[in-house]
Amino acid sequence: MDDISALSRRGLIGAGLSAGLGLGAGLLLPDSALAASKPRRGGRIRVASLSSSTADTLDPAKGALSTDYVRHYMLYNGLTEMGGDLIARPALAERIVSNDQTVWHIRLRRGVTFHDGASLTSEDVVWSLLRHKDPAVGSKLATIAEQFAEVRAAGKQDVVIRLTGPNADLPAILAQSHFLILRAGTKDFRTANGTGPYMVSQFRPGVRTLVRRNPNYWKTGKAWLDEIELIGIPDEVSRVNALLSGDVQLVIAVNPRSTRRIMASRGHALLETQSGLYTNLIMRQDQLPTGNAHFVAAMKYLFDRPLIKRALYRGYATIANDQPIPPFHPYYRKDLPQTALDLDKARWHLQRAGLSGVRLPIYASPAADGSVDMASILQEYGSRVGLNLAVNRVPADGYWSTHWMKHPLGFGNTNPRPTADLLFSLFYKSDAAWNESGWKNPRFDRLLLEARGEADQARRKQLYGEMQGLVHDRCGVGIPVFISLIDGYDRRLKGLRPVSLGGLMGYQFAEHVWWEG
Amino acid sequence: MAGASTSSGAKAALVLIGQRLASSLLTLLLVSVTIFVIAQLLPGDAAQEALGQSATAEQVAALRHEMGLDQPAPVRYISWLTGMVSGDPGQSLVAGMPVSEVISSRLPNSLLLAALTALVAVPVALAIGIGSAMNRGGRLDRALNISTLSMVAVPEFLVATIAVLIFSVKLRWLPSIALASDEMSWGDYLRGAAMPILCLSIVVIAQMARMTRAAVIDQMDRPYVEMALLKGVAPVQIVLKHIMPNAIAPIVNAMALSLSYLLGGAVIVETIFNYPGLASLMVNAVTSRDMPLLQACAMIFCAAYLILMLIADVTAILANPRLRAQ
Amino acid sequence: MARSIKGAIALPLSGKIGLTLVLFWILAALIGPMLAPYPVGAFVAFDVFDGSSGAHWLGSDYLGRDVLSRLLWGARYTVALAAAAALLASTTGTALALTAAVGGPKVDEPLSRFMDMLISIPSKIFSLVLVAAFGSSLPLLLLIAAITYVPGNYRIARALAVNLAQMDYVQVAKARGEGRFHIAIAEVLPNMIHPLLADFGLRFVFIVLLLSGLSFLGLGVQPPDADLGSLVRENISGLGEGALAILAPAVAIATLTVGVNLLIDALPGRGKRK
Repeated sequence: MDDISALSRRGLIGAGLSAGLGLGAGLLLPDSALAASKPRRGGRIRVASLSSSTADTLDPAKGALSTDYVRHYMLYNGLTEMGGDLIARPALAERIVSNDQTVWHIRLRRGVTFHDGASLTSEDVVWSLLRHKDPAVGSKLATIAEQFAEVRAAGKQDVVIRLTGPNADLPAILAQSHFLILRAGTKDFRTANGTGPYMVSQFRPGVRTLVRRNPNYWKTGKAWLDEIELIGIPDEVSRVNALLSGDVQLVIAVNPRSTRRIMASRGHALLETQSGLYTNLIMRQDQLPTGNAHFVAAMKYLFDRPLIKRALYRGYATIANDQPIPPFHPYYRKDLPQTALDLDKARWHLQRAGLSGVRLPIYASPAADGSVDMASILQEYGSRVGLNLAVNRVPADGYWSTHWMKHPLGFGNTNPRPTADLLFSLFYKSDAAWNESGWKNPRFDRLLLEARGEADQARRKQLYGEMQGLVHDRCGVGIPVFISLIDGYDRRLKGLRPVSLGGLMGYQFAEHVWWEG
Repeated sequence: MAGASTSSGAKAALVLIGQRLASSLLTLLLVSVTIFVIAQLLPGDAAQEALGQSATAEQVAALRHEMGLDQPAPVRYISWLTGMVSGDPGQSLVAGMPVSEVISSRLPNSLLLAALTALVAVPVALAIGIGSAMNRGGRLDRALNISTLSMVAVPEFLVATIAVLIFSVKLRWLPSIALASDEMSWGDYLRGAAMPILCLSIVVIAQMARMTRAAVIDQMDRPYVEMALLKGVAPVQIVLKHIMPNAIAPIVNAMALSLSYLLGGAVIVETIFNYPGLASLMVNAVTSRDMPLLQACAMIFCAAYLILMLIADVTAILANPRLRAQ
Repeated sequence: MARSIKGAIALPLSGKIGLTLVLFWILAALIGPMLAPYPVGAFVAFDVFDGSSGAHWLGSDYLGRDVLSRLLWGARYTVALAAAAALLASTTGTALALTAAVGGPKVDEPLSRFMDMLISIPSKIFSLVLVAAFGSSLPLLLLIAAITYVPGNYRIARALAVNLAQMDYVQVAKARGEGRFHIAIAEVLPNMIHPLLADFGLRFVFIVLLLSGLSFLGLGVQPPDADLGSLVRENISGLGEGALAILAPAVAIATLTVGVNLLIDALPGRGKRK
């Protein structure tokens, strides 16, 4: 870890670059497991993702759902990319360096061509990055793109990015699917002109995306399959049935309750990816009674975390400790005491808060995975300590715009982010738009800024550790477990490995897998 | 006599069709206003839904402007209506292409599924209904009665899931999802659509069969049937020649109602089999707040319903001498 | 009382079965929660989708809750909601249909157009909007279910009534100078009661199923309570392993709805003939 960042400070980058995140080796399969099968060319698979609608898009900036991310990684490349070790490596960039973490110099790889034959130039990169700052584009990462003070070409192969402040995580940020590189001036998104491993054969929003191998792909040997058909099956039971009946060869987001069936099938297997995904209880700090510190403490004691892990997720989860950094993360702080179910302490805190016997609505929705059942669990234990919670289940449709963060007591759901900085900046900073509980902690904000510009890993870990403690103790957010991602696949499909950023190898499976039929 | 009544029946039918076309336009207008108004009650709009959780206020404003959502609601409605009258249902806010294009890729699928289901369900329902009515109280009647009841008493998604488990996962005879592709043959299509047709049929057969039975039995108690029986007319003859013309009104009405369900109500079957039809498109339009698309779907469902009802009423008039005489 | 007992004895076998089932479920709805061995939301079993055992007669559900208890608690929602909504839908629909049939085109036309409009708006969207606007509650669910099924009943009742209104005996009554209200109630209604009852039975079934469909959209009865349809839906992932948690509520729905319809079918037709 340290020697990589030392490399970075000396500006000797080229081979690999730390985004500030390494990863516990526990998630990586040993190489010998892969050596049993050698990649081979050919084959056609059908992949079922979570959903598919008229909002399906070929514009990476608009990508909203896993189906979009998968589609975009098939067709485009980023300046950097992230593997299972969560280290951002140069991709379309040949190298990406900075001395002060503010001004970054990017040298582009030579000989990369778009699907239409045009060569990749700095102009394409500048255009692709700057469009995120145009409100009319509707980029999902517009708030992050605000950090780009300036993006300019310095010759045909060189790009300079000047940030509004130092950020050691830029390479990791650029690996996100939204920042994938397009041909400059692209307007028509009914088809895609990228540099990626596959090219569009057919794109029908809400129905399917059909891609074929890019014969001129710049990564030597890569992209093994001839053709991939990507569809969406929103109903989980149908998705698993489609896998088991052989109609699809790879499915994302298997419900833990379906794992028994997949494991029982000889031709199929599961890919479990431990991730930072969590569903959290939100206790608004700017409203009563949830703003009461004793109330917050009581609620955290009411979570029966082993029960949630066992009953809701059948063990496919990691117990969490009311802060968003998962245990397998390199910045995880081990010495924080684990909060556990404690009815006596909960009752005591409630009495201190003067809230015994009070009736409170708690908003949950299928939109936040597992929240309805978590609310039921809280209600059940709440009734034993004199807290009368009324579960208010509201439709998934419109949940984020009408209910999320709007009620004193509700639920949120947060996807894994590539860096700790992104997670903390988006969801925990005092002035963040999605500061879910509305807590305000100046000390936390200061630490966040300091850590962002800090290139020294040990110091960074220390800063992030203190921030975890602050969230754990003071923040009105309760995180019971981190939810593991489960994909199901046909055993003839080889080369799949977990990448904790998301299912299907962090949505990037397409160029890595091959078919042994 | 027969000739005269037929021509007067045809005339009555023509008058009815004329009146109905006029009132249908009124109904469509009413539906479009209602849909528009209730859609305004929905939380959030297309811009917010498209940008999702991560939207900034600036982006929402920009997208609203681009989608024309910054105009007042009545203005939006009028401009949609004038477009519609001139045959242009507008641009889908979310898909970024003309509504007609989005619909034209789904409508044929829905119509085909509905038509095939009707082809299976109507004859079966008639046979079950008439058969059990003629056998009223008998063993066949009771058996058919219990089986239609149990058919309808199982939730649709359960029937569909059980069918998939048996025919796709266990036996591997049929695909578990209806796959749409351009290079598909009729055989492929039918294999994919077999289970959706089966599940939809199960839902509608029961209602149609039970209404048929009730209507036929209702007629069987009438004096004219007893007269015919006394005269020694064969039971099958009685049912077809005497009872059916009188029982046809409620029967075709029940059928038209059930069949109209096949378009808009197929959403669960479409979801489970991933069938690219109109119902799931409309749910899509609601969740993404895509007003032009939603309106277009509503218009189609409403028109389909009105056409079915018209067919039902015309059939009733043509078949029933009393109504004909009116 | 004595008469109804006599009536019950006079029922054919299928009717007796139907009556027994209906009485059973009414009883379950009334006293089910008292009999339930565990609270409705309690997590009592260690394993999920357990089979039958001494502690849990019907096994455990997808979260390890007692299926029997949830069933006993849930029956009241299904029985009461479905019965009330079906009754409301049928009486409203039939009353409007009679009004239309005897009221002439001036009443008939606007009513029929209004019903057309109502029926052509898909019920799910209708439900989504109402719940979004007013929040989910039992009265609202009742209203949604009733409104959804009024137009269907209206169509069928109107078709029957218009047909009957042409009958000689009705014309005779008209010629006698009977009032419209009298004609509707005394002459038309009794003769359409049988098909309408059959329709009521089916509507009851549909409403039971609609409730489960609504919970699919997150609009149904609020957790931890659940109606029978929601119990099926929430345990659907246990279907592959044949879990009791899904079979039990499915059988419950089937016995309830089949029972209601068997009973209705067996009722003697009370059509009055002249």
